[in-house]
Amino acid sequence: MLNIALIGNPNTGKTSLFNNLTGTYQYVGNWSGVTVEKKVGIIKNKKGNLIDLPGVYSLSPLSKDEAVVSNFFVTETFDGMINIVDASQIERNLLLTLQLLEFEKPVIIGLNMTDVAKRRGITINEQLLSEKLGVPVVPVIARSGKGTATINDLLTDDLKVDASFTLKYGPIIEESINQIIHLLPANLSIPKRWTAIQLLEGNAEVRKYIRSLGDGAGIDSIIQATNEQIADETAASNTSKWIYSVRKAFIEELIQSSVVTEESENKSLTDKIDKIATHPFLGIPIFLATMFLMFKLTFDWLGIPLSDILDGFISGSLTTWLTNGLNTAGASDFIKAVVLDGIVAGVGGVLVFVPQIFILFLLISFLEDSGYMARAALVMDRTMEMVGLNGKAFIPMIIGFGCNVPGVMAARTIETPRERMLTILLTPLMSCSARLPVYALFVGAFFAKYQALVVFSLYVLGIVVALTLAKIFSSTILKGEFSMFIVELPPYRMPQGKALLRSTWDKGKGFIKKAGTFIFGGSVLIWLLSYSGPAGFDVPMDDSFLAMIGNVLAPILAPLGFGTWQAGASLITGFLAKEVVVSAMNIIYHVPNADSLQGLLSNEFSALSAFSFMVFVLLYVPCLATVATIRKEAGSVKWTWFSVVYALVIAYVLSLVIYQGGKLLGY
Amino acid sequence: MLLTQLNKGERATIIDLSLVNESVRRRLLDLGISEGSQVCLQCKLPFKGPCMVENCGQSLGIRLQDASYIKVEKKC
Ligand SMILES: Nc1nc2c(ncn2[C@@H]2O[C@H](COP(=O)(O)OP(=O)(O)OP(=O)(O)O)[C@@H](O)[C@H]2O)c(=O)[nH]1
Ligand SMILES: [Mg+2]
Repeated sequence: MLNIALIGNPNTGKTSLFNNLTGTYQYVGNWSGVTVEKKVGIIKNKKGNLIDLPGVYSLSPLSKDEAVVSNFFVTETFDGMINIVDASQIERNLLLTLQLLEFEKPVIIGLNMTDVAKRRGITINEQLLSEKLGVPVVPVIARSGKGTATINDLLTDDLKVDASFTLKYGPIIEESINQIIHLLPANLSIPKRWTAIQLLEGNAEVRKYIRSLGDGAGIDSIIQATNEQIADETAASNTSKWIYSVRKAFIEELIQSSVVTEESENKSLTDKIDKIATHPFLGIPIFLATMFLMFKLTFDWLGIPLSDILDGFISGSLTTWLTNGLNTAGASDFIKAVVLDGIVAGVGGVLVFVPQIFILFLLISFLEDSGYMARAALVMDRTMEMVGLNGKAFIPMIIGFGCNVPGVMAARTIETPRERMLTILLTPLMSCSARLPVYALFVGAFFAKYQALVVFSLYVLGIVVALTLAKIFSSTILKGEFSMFIVELPPYRMPQGKALLRSTWDKGKGFIKKAGTFIFGGSVLIWLLSYSGPAGFDVPMDDSFLAMIGNVLAPILAPLGFGTWQAGASLITGFLAKEVVVSAMNIIYHVPNADSLQGLLSNEFSALSAFSFMVFVLLYVPCLATVATIRKEAGSVKWTWFSVVYALVIAYVLSLVIYQGGKLLGY
Repeated sequence: MLLTQLNKGERATIIDLSLVNESVRRRLLDLGISEGSQVCLQCKLPFKGPCMVENCGQSLGIRLQDASYIKVEKKC
């Protein structure tokens, strides 16, 4: 079995190629830092595994996702690499290629984005490039799959190593390389020359690894001495700069001979769209308008009509079939109750919102694949800087609108640990799609005319609370001076229909899966708790265990406007997954469909307390899956607890203010 | 002169990056921007927001503060 790693600069189409070569789907998007962890797939030709990695500019990491790659190089064994090179940005892409070639493993260069390069008037002589670098160069268009068959064919059992490539870094460095090589452990699993060069360049991960193998003091002093010598004797001020300039000079020569660029001075579409999207004054309003439009589509225009149809089906035909089926099969009353009152009410009650959720996912996928994400980061940077974050933190937040879990993961691309931690803590405040069913239920009942507007206000509230807390946290518990922001702005790309559907399905799949697991399990549990009580089974619901649990919370929640055991019980179970709040309500109020539940709710809630309830659901605690992800990403139990507790506190306070304030104002 | 002193749409050559913060400079180098690179100031966002700079067909966003440490020479 071969293990082939995919390595290349960010946003060059590595994952697109991965998907093509393995026939699977991993997350693709048009900005730098989509992939943040290692993903493994089986190559279609069955010759081995393909490993997709985050994009990197060089092997010395600045951020957490980049460290994943450096770590991969030093600690894992693999047989070869596919280096994806963006043909339209070949110069800077080759800087990484040189470091890969030094690793003395077989390399295949996939020259991607050849369509873009062609449009820009760039012609690359891949034959010549291949000769000079000593490795195969295959032009591909990863997006459409053109040329991927050639790569597939090259991935055979006898990948050949071509160790002939060596770039000489001049006498001073070469001398130091030799000295370091002598000090390295004899049985080192990674190439020694490569290791020496990376150490001289200041690669922190490699240094950490070498130190872990033994005493590195001798090496450290060589690095130190080389640095001083370079500063004294050359024009460069330190070793890494010198190495950079040697590589750059080599690449320039390479490009001179094998790349032809014709000046094409026509303004690209990207420039035109950017005129509007990053317009000095319209930038932020445009972002908000885009979001508002999203909700108009999700709710008023498309989502509600579709989910009404689905609701009709589930509470109508499906229930009738199931009842008949269960009767024919001679199921006991208990089984019938579990299925109809528990599962159908609980899971079905959430499934009716599938259309809304899928439309939202489709729109988010469109944003992700268009190239707008990086622009949103740019436009928001000034605001984010004022609250102690940087514009890049906005990308995890937008992703969080779909689901908080990948949102929290996406924080890996943020370079400074402090800002990354802040982003991890605050992303759960973004209103994810799981909260959508709760909103849909309540706005339908209480704000029929202004559905999109009310939901929009909740999303904005999430952002505002996150930014406010960012300010508070960054000036108290997560203090720090340093903040940095540089973002690559990729050209806009029209998302392709097929890719868009794949990506929507990939996100939506998670929701359906949840319906089959957490929501299913939650529904059965809730039903059981509502069916049983201290007096036995089939008790009146007010005497059930569920009511007892809910009653503990009710007095605490009363000042917020929803002090019923029903609200309390559904909020507790909502910790599993926020959709379960809706499942719980469906089971508790035991109604056949969403319409009649909305009717019933209007007896229990007022418009004001409904809003207060929605705000509470928005903020109260991250769901189970998100908490687990925070634990993993933050790497600290303390911060995980903090994320749960602060959210509860802020939810309580805000709901209280909204409900009591609203009452004072006479609502 | 400084990168931030350019007008919108003007091109220049970078002559000195040594004053730029270490990590920011690393990122610029990663993106292929070093002394001698040609850049074009595409736009500046209001309220001292970041600016958009183009190099070799690649646009990037960088903070005004950082850009103001980059010395350039205007192309005539
Ligand atoms: N025009 C064109 N676009 C492409 C091509 N290959 C990929 N893309 C697009 O480029 C963008 C980035 O693709 P990804 O596959 O996510 O890139 P990646 O290298 O995995 O990115 P990171 O995970 O962020 O490092 C997507 O919008 C793709 O649709 C290509 O050959 N031509
Ligand atoms: Mg990727």
